[in-house]
Amino acid sequence: MGFVENIIKKSRLKSPWIVHFDCGSCNGCDIEVLACLTPLYDVERFGVVNTGNPKHADVLLVTGTVNHRNQHVLRQIYDQMPGPKAVVSIGACNLSGGVFKDSYNILNGAHTVIPVDVFVPGCPPKPEAIIDGVVTALNVLGAKMGLVPAPAPARMPGDEDVLQGAESA
Amino acid sequence: MMNFLVFCCVVLPFVVGATLYCVQSNSLRTTLVPVTVLVMAMAAVGLGAGGPFHMEARHFLGLPLDGLFTLLDFVLLFYILVLGWNLRSRLVMGMTALQMIGLMYLKGVLAGHDPLITGFAPDGLSLIMVIIISVVGGLITIYGLGYMDIHEEHQHLRTSRQPRFFAIILCFLGAMNGLVLCNNMSWMFFFWEVTTLCSFFLISHDNTEEARKNAFRALWMNVLGGLAFVSAMLFIQKTLGTLSMEIVLQKMTALDIKSTAMLLPFAFLCLAAFTKSAQVPFESWLCGAMVAPTPVSALLHSATMVKAGTYLLLRMAPAFADTTMSTIVALFGAFTFVGTCMLAVSQSNAKKILAYSTIANLGLIITCVGINTAASMVAATMIIVYHSVSKGLLFMCVGSIEQRIGSRDIEDMRGLYNVMPRTATITAIGIFTMLLPPFGMLIGKWMAIEAIARATQAMTPILFFIALGSAFTVFFWARWAGILISSANLHEYPTSGLQRPTVLFALRTLCGVALLFSFLSPMVLKDFIGPSVAGVYARLNLRAEGFIPGAGFTGVEEYSWIYLLFIVLALGAWLAWRVTRRVPEKAHSLPYFSGLAVKQGNEIGFRGPMNVFEPARVSNYYLPQYFGEEKITRAVDVISTAFLIVLVGGLL
Amino acid sequence: MLSSIFGALGGLILAPLAGGFLSGVDRRLTARLQSRVGPPLLQPFYDVFKLFGKESKVTNAWLVFSAYVYLMSSAFSLFIFFMGGDLLLLFFVLTIGAVFQVVGAICVPSPYSQVGAQRELLLMVAYEPILILVFVGFAMCTGSFMIADVFKLDSPLLLKMPLLFLALGYALTIKLRKSPFDFSASHHGHQELVRGVQTEYSGPYLALIEIGHWLDLVLILGLCALFWHTSVIGMLILVMASLFTEILIDNITARLTWQWMVQKQSLLLGMGLALVNLLWLYVA
Repeated sequence: MGFVENIIKKSRLKSPWIVHFDCGSCNGCDIEVLACLTPLYDVERFGVVNTGNPKHADVLLVTGTVNHRNQHVLRQIYDQMPGPKAVVSIGACNLSGGVFKDSYNILNGAHTVIPVDVFVPGCPPKPEAIIDGVVTALNVLGAKMGLVPAPAPARMPGDEDVLQGAESA
Repeated sequence: MMNFLVFCCVVLPFVVGATLYCVQSNSLRTTLVPVTVLVMAMAAVGLGAGGPFHMEARHFLGLPLDGLFTLLDFVLLFYILVLGWNLRSRLVMGMTALQMIGLMYLKGVLAGHDPLITGFAPDGLSLIMVIIISVVGGLITIYGLGYMDIHEEHQHLRTSRQPRFFAIILCFLGAMNGLVLCNNMSWMFFFWEVTTLCSFFLISHDNTEEARKNAFRALWMNVLGGLAFVSAMLFIQKTLGTLSMEIVLQKMTALDIKSTAMLLPFAFLCLAAFTKSAQVPFESWLCGAMVAPTPVSALLHSATMVKAGTYLLLRMAPAFADTTMSTIVALFGAFTFVGTCMLAVSQSNAKKILAYSTIANLGLIITCVGINTAASMVAATMIIVYHSVSKGLLFMCVGSIEQRIGSRDIEDMRGLYNVMPRTATITAIGIFTMLLPPFGMLIGKWMAIEAIARATQAMTPILFFIALGSAFTVFFWARWAGILISSANLHEYPTSGLQRPTVLFALRTLCGVALLFSFLSPMVLKDFIGPSVAGVYARLNLRAEGFIPGAGFTGVEEYSWIYLLFIVLALGAWLAWRVTRRVPEKAHSLPYFSGLAVKQGNEIGFRGPMNVFEPARVSNYYLPQYFGEEKITRAVDVISTAFLIVLVGGLL
Repeated sequence: MLSSIFGALGGLILAPLAGGFLSGVDRRLTARLQSRVGPPLLQPFYDVFKLFGKESKVTNAWLVFSAYVYLMSSAFSLFIFFMGGDLLLLFFVLTIGAVFQVVGAICVPSPYSQVGAQRELLLMVAYEPILILVFVGFAMCTGSFMIADVFKLDSPLLLKMPLLFLALGYALTIKLRKSPFDFSASHHGHQELVRGVQTEYSGPYLALIEIGHWLDLVLILGLCALFWHTSVIGMLILVMASLFTEILIDNITARLTWQWMVQKQSLLLGMGLALVNLLWLYVA
């Protein structure tokens, strides 16, 4: 049994299927996400498949500003993913609301709705950064299973001031 | 002993029917009907266990039987004539009058001085039919007891018409038993016309405008068949000098070359059988018959009426083996199969789907008859048996569903699993018994394909039709099965006590029979159907070429092997079922609907503007632009009429 | 008898390995054709193992039943194939799986899977008659529907029924969900109905469906191999050529609408080819 479980655990790291949910982004981040699938970046090398279906997916990529209306959709898509699963929040708007932060009609980032494992900042982030985000998410999963050492703790949006203070000190 | 059993199967239902009609008592009916049905079923099994027999049966209650039947023939025809007068139909009157003239000529001039014919000489096929009629027909009658109560509640009738209804149904069963047991064709003709008349009364039972119209259509089409039957009898008497089916078969199979004059009566018999079995272009009467209460449709489609036509053909098939006519019959059957399968695709009315599928399967049986080898006969018998069981079950299910949800449209059956899980599951099982291995229907179809592929004449076009038709069969059955068990909940549990006990009893029994019987299909094949066909071929001194029932199963003539396959399938299904029941309730999740899914009752949808629930609506592909009734019925009718013209006209 | 049973069981155990590996090759080749690097060859195995380890999330328990029955029917038809059994029986057992996959998709009230199921049914209408006619072609050449009898022939079947081989190619492209016939569910990223008929199967149940699909792949390539039964090399070449052609077609064609597919491509062309070949066999 242990043998099979081990195989399953390792396979999890080699086959991250993604579902991509756009909470209302300007499409900058979305284009960068899709760019990862192109021959130039070819994320299928890592076994990544863009499923478009939360029921098949392991990693949720979220982009755009989360608002009061689509937070339910985000929540349901997250709920419909069978575990174990990871969430990667992509782009400034999704991290914290970006330029719309603290507007009356939006929530300040996806982490206010669902637990986020990895944050990929940028406006938009480069495809390399997104790929790195997915790989880091896998490491988070692997760390939960005790396969790899845990990656450096994720920085929450709003932590910037604290961190800057720490660096300068 | 045989006398008594035959009496129980044929005469007893008539007597009980008459009693029920005269006494009009509810309590008497609820006890007498099940008892009669039980006696009939036991008698039928007793007859079947005894094997083929001869019974002279000259007298009944001191009256000469032959004369009695002649008298009854005329009384019946006269009654139909009066009926035609009441309906103001020159068509019915004219055809009935022609039948009377033909019968007079036959009895008076042609057959006046013939020696008496053996009254009852059933072969294996007849006995199988008797068992089906009595057991399946009996269960449907018991189902009818519960069904008709609710049916009449819905109609708000002041006086119950149930005594009449059950009287006719019992007569119907008796007539069918008589039809398959008789050896004398003129006696058979009497029972043939009784079934016509009974179906007329039963279809018009609800007395609505539509019911009367459809009953009239059933009447004139079947009277046309009766006319063909009388013509066939005339020609047979003229050319072969007897009306005994046994002797006719012996004489015909002994012939080396079958001349046109010899074959003509059989072409007429085919025509008679096609009308009775509702083959295209006569399919409309059977489709119209669904206006009747469900037990009637169940009876007409499964055990009785339509099977009479195929029985006649199967019984007579060796007489026209190895002729071009036989090939045309096969082509005609195959064409009916594919045509009606296409029509079924375009239907969403459950009863219509069932009706077209019945016609299609009868077409398949007729194809096997046309192929006319021992192997194809076995296939045909197999399909008759299993089709009766499954189709009876499905009709009863649709009846129950309709009484609960008030619709027979399969689109309205979405989420039925949520409302009546037991019936929905039984219906789905019924559908799978029609469609999938290891169930008997499929074994029959499989043997049919093998038999056709081994046959020599016109095999390619026939197989083309059959292959195409089978694919459409899957199309219209699979989606219905899926709809029946659809639900937004993980597990559903039955709420008890909402069904009438008789209804539930009949549904469960027939479902059990369908499952168990399918599992035993190799045994049925080996011990009943195979020997019965082999017996017929041996008695007629025919070579039963390619007669290895079941050899195609595995190539090994060992039945233990087949059981191994069946057991693996059953075990797999059972394990899957166990795993299924164990899925924990916490694993439930809403279906994927772009993250917007909301569940309300058993419906999935989303919150629209103003926070209003909007259900998601999906419908099946019915492809009306290709297979709609108005698109292809005419073409199917024209082509099939052309087949009939070639069939009869080619011989003239 | 016993040895052949054990042989068939052994084949049945090896088949998923072969099928998984072949679909790995498929994904790799597809990637190369699109000038990408592509996943590792063992990627399909990683996917399936991962799926087995996932939480189960189902809407209707019948879906679980359907997934198991699908796998069972695929395995069973492959077993019949290895036993040299009856082609028609094989076909009918294969139908069980196809029907249950559709039933499992329809029993969930999700628009995507339901529309996918309807399309899958249309696909079945398109390939089933062709398969039956091809099997009839086998029967006409060998005198029975038994696969074992094919090996008693002296010359390769391809010479006698080349058009039936092409027709089989049609049917197989549909059965393998390859473009241009992949409109009920697709293995690639280009979805239009999420994942069509497979939308609602998830986690371990999707893994079952996936393994069933591998078995189907092996079965189908096995059927192709029957056309050149006289030499092992001939078989291998034929199988490899068929597989490569399937992948090539998959990558260079656009998806057809069902009207196109069912009417023109499959029924007219496929069945036409099959019919012509059958008539030829009948005359010859």
